[in-house]
Amino acid sequence: MITLTDFLIVSAALFCIGLYMIITKHNAIQILIGIELMLNAAILNLVAFGKFDKIANGGQVFALFAIVLAAATTAVALAIILNVYKKYRTIDPGKIDGLKD
Amino acid sequence: MKTSIPYHDVLTNYFAVATVLLPLFACLVNCCLPGKRNKVSGWIATAAILVSCVLSVIVFTKIWNGNEVYVQRLWFTIGDTQLYGGIYLNNLSVVLLMLVSLIALPVHIYSTAYMKHDENHDRYFIYLGLFCFSMLALVVVNNMILLYAFWELVGFSSYLLIGFWFTRDKAVQANKKAFLMNRIGDVGLLTAIMVLFAQFHTFDIPDLFSNGGLVSQSTIQNGIWVTQGGGLPAVWQYIAFGGIFLGLAAKSAQFPLHTWLPDAMEGPTSVSALIHAATMVAAGVFLLGRFYPLFNTTELDILAVVGCFTAFMAATIALTQNDLKRILAYSTISQLGFMVMAMGIGAYASSLFHLVTHAFFKCALFLVAGIVIHEMQHIKEDNDLDIDPQNILYMGGLRKKLPLTFWVAVIAGFALIGLPFTSGYLSKDGILVQAVDWSDSKSAVFRLIPIGAIVTTWLTAFYVIRLITKVFCGDFRLEQFHPHVKYHVSDGGLQYKLPLVLLAAASLFPIFSLNPVLYERAWLFEGFGSIHLERVNIYHTIVPVGVNILSLFLMYWAWSVYSGRKLMVFKQTGFLFHLSYREWYIDKFYNKVIVGAVMALSSALSWIDRKVIDGFINGLANFMVAVSKIAAWFDYNIIDGISRLLTFIVQITGNFVRRFQGGKIQYYLFSMLAIVLALIIYLTV
Repeated sequence: MITLTDFLIVSAALFCIGLYMIITKHNAIQILIGIELMLNAAILNLVAFGKFDKIANGGQVFALFAIVLAAATTAVALAIILNVYKKYRTIDPGKIDGLKD
Repeated sequence: MKTSIPYHDVLTNYFAVATVLLPLFACLVNCCLPGKRNKVSGWIATAAILVSCVLSVIVFTKIWNGNEVYVQRLWFTIGDTQLYGGIYLNNLSVVLLMLVSLIALPVHIYSTAYMKHDENHDRYFIYLGLFCFSMLALVVVNNMILLYAFWELVGFSSYLLIGFWFTRDKAVQANKKAFLMNRIGDVGLLTAIMVLFAQFHTFDIPDLFSNGGLVSQSTIQNGIWVTQGGGLPAVWQYIAFGGIFLGLAAKSAQFPLHTWLPDAMEGPTSVSALIHAATMVAAGVFLLGRFYPLFNTTELDILAVVGCFTAFMAATIALTQNDLKRILAYSTISQLGFMVMAMGIGAYASSLFHLVTHAFFKCALFLVAGIVIHEMQHIKEDNDLDIDPQNILYMGGLRKKLPLTFWVAVIAGFALIGLPFTSGYLSKDGILVQAVDWSDSKSAVFRLIPIGAIVTTWLTAFYVIRLITKVFCGDFRLEQFHPHVKYHVSDGGLQYKLPLVLLAAASLFPIFSLNPVLYERAWLFEGFGSIHLERVNIYHTIVPVGVNILSLFLMYWAWSVYSGRKLMVFKQTGFLFHLSYREWYIDKFYNKVIVGAVMALSSALSWIDRKVIDGFINGLANFMVAVSKIAAWFDYNIIDGISRLLTFIVQITGNFVRRFQGGKIQYYLFSMLAIVLALIIYLTV
């Protein structure tokens, strides 16, 4: 029997991996992948907690909604990366430092 | 107008004013003349003085022994004091008015020739006009303020004329000396005027000094100088006398303020004749005449002693001087001493009489000296010699070259000695007789006064003959020094001769008295109410006869000594010779003691100024610089330091903080994560 705790551990691991990728990777695509991993960790939590709402299945429904939103945001993010590449000829976020004072 | 006066007196009054103002008018016209029109300025001045002269004679005939004319108008008011300006004509003022203009006329004529070649001819006549104006005004004004003003003006124009050749250093020194010594007298006179005003509350000369005036009514009782409606301590009366005495001593060159007069001979000789022999120096005696009622017996005795001493001292100095004009200057001082002494012994009329006669013969002597110096100057310039044209040791034998000049010199010289048939005899022997009379009523010590005066007369006889012999008799000594000297000298034109003849005529007796030997008959005495008109005792015969006989012997002796061919006859050594030659060391004494003291004081003051006052200021300045340096350091390091420290801290903080703003998005994320984690740890623990 898989317990709720196991789900939460997997989810936390996923979140941490995603976070680590966001901070360390030198490629915007990989960072985007990291963001997806963190999002999926959250969705996994929603599904896991959905077990306590068997009548309305709020968790399942909210997870579906979040997946759809994630797909949309990924598309937007990829478009932004494409535009960044056009402008700076790179997608390494470490080299794009226009915010510097 | 204070008094209503009849018509002819009004006219007299206008004539007197015109007499005074004409020289001023000529002076102003000469000022306005364009360029340097040599001839014109001289003749304008001469014409003005000629008219003045005629008018003054008219005024004289109207006033003499007649009514006094006394006209005045309100000048200004200060507080309760009303000051009236006007003229006051009595016997004294009209005599002097006429005298001054009569002396000024020949001097002006003489000057037109004498100053002909001077490039500042016009300036000379401007000064001369100014002098004549102030001198004429001095004798007629009616109040002491105006008297003082013209007194100063006379001194000032004398200063200008002494320094006429202001490029010569000696002339500048001389006029400075004359001016400074006259200042002493001016201060004295001003003091006296202030004291008199404090006592009598008026400046009016007729009110104060006329017969029965305020001054003659005032008396000294119990140490108080009493007058109507009040009084001052008696010491003020003596202070007033002291002030007048200072004024007299400075203006009339009496001991101890006489040393300016010999130096004043640096001016043109015609000026010396007018100012420093005949008129200005008489101003002091005139002042005594005006203020005569003020003096009490003690003060008159002081005047007699000072006058006698001055006369004697100046005569001894004149014995050995070699400068022609200096000898005459000292004889002037000596004769002025006679006048002051005569005032002191109460011979008021004789004093003024001597003033008048002296003016004529001394003016004549100076004009003679002017001609001689002029000719010597020509010889010097023609032959390019290096001699002093005024030194009588180079002269001699000029009698044949300058016959008229010689005879005028003899007449005027005899008048100066006081020989019979000259005017000088009448006036001087009058003084001597009255001096002997006066000393009879005094203690034995006062016998010295007539004795001193008589000895002075003999000394006068000696130095006059010495002068005439050395200049006019014997051989021309310049030829002994410079054998090849060429010269041709003459008496000069009419402009030289006419004044000499006029003045020589005025030095003879008929002008003053029809009786040549008895001074008591002189008409001038009538106007001054002399008490010595009667031949009361034997002195009136003994004194003139005795004095003149010995004078004649001395004259012969002097002539025989100096007409010898030798240059120096007496031994030029010994204390007495040096005392006389160095002018009694008075100048030396003044230079040492007074000038030296003033110089020492001023250098001490200058030292104090430089070291103490300046030192204090410099110290203060240094202190302020030091304080401001400290303040600057404080400002820079503390005040600015705080703000700089603040900026430094802000800069450090900024630099530290900006390191986080790397522009790298992952950095931001990491920072945010760290902060969130920190917050979580903080909130949970």
